[in-house]
Amino acid sequence: MAEIESCFVFNASTKQSIFLCFQASNESLKMELLADVPLLPGEERVIDKDIIYICPFNGPVKGRVFITNYRLFFRSVDVDPAVTLNVPLGVISRVEKMGGASSRGENSYGLDITCKDMRNLRFALKQEGHSRRDIFDILFRYAFPLSHGLQLFAFLSQEKYQENGWTVYNPVQEFRRQGLPNDQWRITFLNNNYELCDTYPTILVVPYSASDEDLRKVATFRSRGRIPVLSWIHPENQAVITRCSQPLVGMSGKRNRDDERYLDIIRATNKMTSKLTIFDARPNVNAVANKATGGGYEGEDAYQNAELVFLDIHNIHVMRESLKKLKDIVYPNVEESHWLSSLESTHWLEHIKLVLSGAIQVADKISTGSSVVVHCSDGWDRTAQLTSLAMLMLDSYYRTFRGFQVLLEKEWISFGHKFASRIGHGDKNHADADRSPIFLQFIDCVWQMTKQFPTAFEFNERLLVAVLDHLYSCRFGTFLYNCESARDANEVKMKTVSLWSFINSDRASYINPFYTVEFVHVLYPVASMRHLELWVSYYIRWNPRIRQQQHSPMEQRYKELLALKEQYLRKLEELQLSDSTSHLSNSTAPSPSTPSQRVTHLQTPF
Amino acid sequence: RHNGSQTAPLVPVSSVCVSFAGEIVVSEVNFVRKCMGTVTTRDDLWGKLICTNFKVSFVTHDPSRQVRKFQYCNRLLGDHDVPLACVEQLVTVNDTTGKQKVLLSNRKLKFSPTELIIYCKDFRILRFRFDESGPESAKKVCLAIAHYCQPADPLLLFGFEYVGKRYDGSSGDQISTADLSARLRTPLFDCSSDWDREIKRTGASEWRVCSLNEGYAVSPSLPEHFVVPVSLADQDLRQFSCSFAGQRIPLWCWNHPNGSALVRMASIRDVAHQRKLEQRVCSAVTRSHPKRSDVLQSNLDRSLPRIQDVQTSLVKLRQICVFGGSEESEDKWFSSMESSGWLENVRAFLQHSIEVVHMLEGRGMSVILQEEEDRDLSCVVSSLVQLMLDPHFRSIEGFQSLVQKEWVMAGHRFLDRCNHLKKSSKEESPLFLLFVDCVWQLMNQFPSAFEFTEIYLAVLCDSMWIPVFSTFLFNCPRQRAEHSRDFAQSRYLFLGEEKTLRFPPVWDWSQQFSHRDQALFNSPFYVGKRAAPCVQNGAVKTFKRTKKSYSSTLRGMPSMQNGMLGRHGSLPRRNSLILRFRPESPARREAPESTLDHFTRDWLSRPADPHGLLLPQLLPSHLKLWRLYFLRWVPEARIPHGGMVMALHKLSLLADEIETLQMKLRQYSGGPTPGCSSDRVTLSPEQRRMYFRGSPLPITPQQPEYLSSAFPFSPVGNLSRPEVLGTPLRKFLSGARLWLSSETLVNQTP
Repeated sequence: MAEIESCFVFNASTKQSIFLCFQASNESLKMELLADVPLLPGEERVIDKDIIYICPFNGPVKGRVFITNYRLFFRSVDVDPAVTLNVPLGVISRVEKMGGASSRGENSYGLDITCKDMRNLRFALKQEGHSRRDIFDILFRYAFPLSHGLQLFAFLSQEKYQENGWTVYNPVQEFRRQGLPNDQWRITFLNNNYELCDTYPTILVVPYSASDEDLRKVATFRSRGRIPVLSWIHPENQAVITRCSQPLVGMSGKRNRDDERYLDIIRATNKMTSKLTIFDARPNVNAVANKATGGGYEGEDAYQNAELVFLDIHNIHVMRESLKKLKDIVYPNVEESHWLSSLESTHWLEHIKLVLSGAIQVADKISTGSSVVVHCSDGWDRTAQLTSLAMLMLDSYYRTFRGFQVLLEKEWISFGHKFASRIGHGDKNHADADRSPIFLQFIDCVWQMTKQFPTAFEFNERLLVAVLDHLYSCRFGTFLYNCESARDANEVKMKTVSLWSFINSDRASYINPFYTVEFVHVLYPVASMRHLELWVSYYIRWNPRIRQQQHSPMEQRYKELLALKEQYLRKLEELQLSDSTSHLSNSTAPSPSTPSQRVTHLQTPF
Repeated sequence: RHNGSQTAPLVPVSSVCVSFAGEIVVSEVNFVRKCMGTVTTRDDLWGKLICTNFKVSFVTHDPSRQVRKFQYCNRLLGDHDVPLACVEQLVTVNDTTGKQKVLLSNRKLKFSPTELIIYCKDFRILRFRFDESGPESAKKVCLAIAHYCQPADPLLLFGFEYVGKRYDGSSGDQISTADLSARLRTPLFDCSSDWDREIKRTGASEWRVCSLNEGYAVSPSLPEHFVVPVSLADQDLRQFSCSFAGQRIPLWCWNHPNGSALVRMASIRDVAHQRKLEQRVCSAVTRSHPKRSDVLQSNLDRSLPRIQDVQTSLVKLRQICVFGGSEESEDKWFSSMESSGWLENVRAFLQHSIEVVHMLEGRGMSVILQEEEDRDLSCVVSSLVQLMLDPHFRSIEGFQSLVQKEWVMAGHRFLDRCNHLKKSSKEESPLFLLFVDCVWQLMNQFPSAFEFTEIYLAVLCDSMWIPVFSTFLFNCPRQRAEHSRDFAQSRYLFLGEEKTLRFPPVWDWSQQFSHRDQALFNSPFYVGKRAAPCVQNGAVKTFKRTKKSYSSTLRGMPSMQNGMLGRHGSLPRRNSLILRFRPESPARREAPESTLDHFTRDWLSRPADPHGLLLPQLLPSHLKLWRLYFLRWVPEARIPHGGMVMALHKLSLLADEIETLQMKLRQYSGGPTPGCSSDRVTLSPEQRRMYFRGSPLPITPQQPEYLSSAFPFSPVGNLSRPEVLGTPLRKFLSGARLWLSSETLVNQTP
């Protein structure tokens, strides 16, 4: 019994979601339960087969695998309770055949599946017939639909929610919340047709005194036309966070008067900023090396009213290798003998620390009234991490349930973090050098902050895990494509469902009960190794030897106590009511309902 | 006036030296600068450095520093005080000559110090400069501290003066034993009735109290009363005792509801009779088992780290925690943590305890913990096993009785292990701290299972360095009795019937803290558990967790005895759990290792019950550094407005509200008093258990500004630099080098 139970590996949030969409759609949707496989509206069964799941923890488990256009579902036979696997195909990064027709040994012939969410799955098949070829081909086709001319599931899904997540973020509304436009900053629609910059959103906030012509000139000197634009403005001291890509300085050390003047205009929008701080997220050497490919950084001579600070954050390739090493020590088994030094040698937390401390420096500059420019090479990876984390520290709105969604939509999605390339949605090329866990790293940083400030965020850990699960799942349109122009061209908002539709229809599950609204001041996490931790409930969640909790014990307890309080209040009200009635009419017997009710509710096992 | 939770006790920075019964000022020097960092800054405090026979005290008279701030307040110690027993090392420096010297008792100091650095056992480092003070008095104070923190004789420990004063009649705060025991509900296990009650509570009907050791006639390190199998007569025991190390007759610790017993035993010195004696003890234990189940002997010396290893790892850990903030060492944080081996030690003890738990609970077998002297490792393992199995020990009273039973009475050498006399560092070992860290790991994984908070645990550890408590002052009960007698004789004190000086146990928390501050010990997670009101037919009844209901919870615990007991051939071969009975059976040698695995998995498959068995997750990824204890004095490791306490604060307010509601409901059971609105009924401050309390007005209470990850300890508390709070960046970038110069200093000193 116990052995089987602990083998019960499933993707908690995905499984949950299947049942949640019931509620969300008032059970009006057609819900097909084919052979016990829960299907989403629009999901279709493709193939099913007897198979052996080689559980890395408990050995081979016989069962049946079902493949749909959305997921791989496995259910064991002859074991109770059943072992199930529920893996959205989008999570798969690589499918390989294992063993050949001549391989000997039990369960040596089958499939080896590598997932993007820190696990690997192995299945064994019978060697006779073409059993493996069929399932391999189908899995390969449906896991990588874009490589086979098929559509991502998000475009096939028929899910309906009461909430429309596509309305969560409205750039004009968000800028208005920040008090923009004002006498220093204006909203421009210059990029309405993505002519200025095809990876930027259509609506941009730029200095009032910079003309459209100026912007066009600056765009020629910034990598991919990603000019400095406003991300956030401090409501009191008017210091701003602006973001952009690297200047195209090149080997010859080119200068551009328009760019220099433009940065000085940004500086001048805030009277307190005598020197504009330019945070270059890269290590100094990388910035220098970028000159060889036409990029570079702002030279001291050219930008006299600016100071340049390098933040030493490494590039996407370093981060990818780091996560790979991390996976090696946590899956399937946690490296036991030298855990801490192994963890250190992955450098994962060291990178987290550098990103966080970079963001702290940005936030510190802003709160002391000094404007900043943040860029890396292209301004869509490290830059997004830094601006969004700094904004999270500075503005309590982004720590709310809604605000966090706005933050992701704004700094990551609309400003062209290349989700498609970094995640490789529906693409078979698992070794693509463009893939990198930059967004995961950001979410990890957010998690570190929530750990250090348990009352400052309105959302809980489950939201972060759900966001990461659906970053890969391809069930929603939110994280698809590299930039807004590509999303527009593919009519994502028309044809797919937003992740926020799903999330916001089940708000209660993602709310942090400890959230305290009045927490308004700037949040400075301590970016020291002493306080950084590995996010075990994400990275080590597949291990059945660890108790998987839906909520943290603290959260659980808080909810229990809330329920207890409600009960007591109800009870007290009843007592007061019966008290007053008995006072009013002494002769009347107490209402018949009270005594019995009293007995029923208060027997809580605390 | 109603500002709710914001009214935390605010204490002014002490401007006078707190002194009390028995304390005398030995030496003092004025115009001393207490440094806040390695370089002198304007934030430094000016004041007087005082050495008493109890503590090093710094009294500031800087009027600008009379800032009101939060700090929990210790009645025995002021804000800047360090008890002499807490001093680890003293270093004096002379700037001009560049001389440095580690000060020891009765050694000469050839130069006038310009600086004194005190390294404390609780990981603090204090720095005083004497630039403006008289060189001679500065030197005198330094030498006095060195002298007084190394008492030549146990009777010179401050506790004797402290307690002795109460017999003089000159002191006003004399309390009688009756008062004390009334205040204290923790059984001390110094009388047979406490043991009797424990036997009844655990249903150990086949065990009896043995008073053979009255007057310490048999064993010098055993308590006067302890528990043994019914089948062994006093006569037998007296005979056995000669063969055991320290004449220590095997002691009963605890009984599982399924009848298995936990027993601890010293090694058998008499090799000739070893086997026979072991057989007799084992068969007696078996006979006390209702199912006559097998007995397992677990050799702790063979499977656990040595006490010296534990000491070495703490010394390393201290280095890392205190000096680990520099840029260079920051990147090596995790590997240095690993090389200290502290967490690995924590893990080893927890792992071994889990194995014992498995035997007792999963296999229904009695376990005998065996250790050379039965006074160190056994204390840790036996108390951890009981904490995991018995929810009673997770309440405050229960936990205190556990420490009393398995540490104090069992004769853990607190005097030597704490090295109060600073005699031999070979004997020093932080086993108790290690145990508390293990408890913290359990608490961290099962927060709602414990009545107390981590603050309680930290304060308990700190109390080890306040040498006035019977708990931590002696090696065994007999030593306490002897020293008491000697001291009484030397002072012509009349001890009366009690035969020993009335040292307060540490459990008498009012010695150190106000009732209000003691509320910091109560965990909000536990609320609603202790006294859950239950309404029956309109009347609210409260079920206080009396002794009786403890035992009933225990009996109700799910146990797996059925199906597990009868099974043969499954025996763990890991570590030291060696079956001593029927070793000839070949089937037993081949041990399916899965049994413990199976046991753990079965437990994992059931929902976690805070009142049932607790099995901590021991993957290294799930064991954490106890940050509150180890990092609380490091300013740059402090998270302003952050840390667990933020959530705890919110939870406390809710818990307080619930307690108030419970009170109101209870009021109804007594019937409403005419003319008195029930809304006015409030709990008196003494009745409210939460430190953070809700406001009587319907406003959301603010989060207090003073909260931080180090709460209630205050690394920058002494600094009173408000600007530090807003700019952690500067701390992060520059403060990281704070202790660097002290570190180089350590390396230079011989």
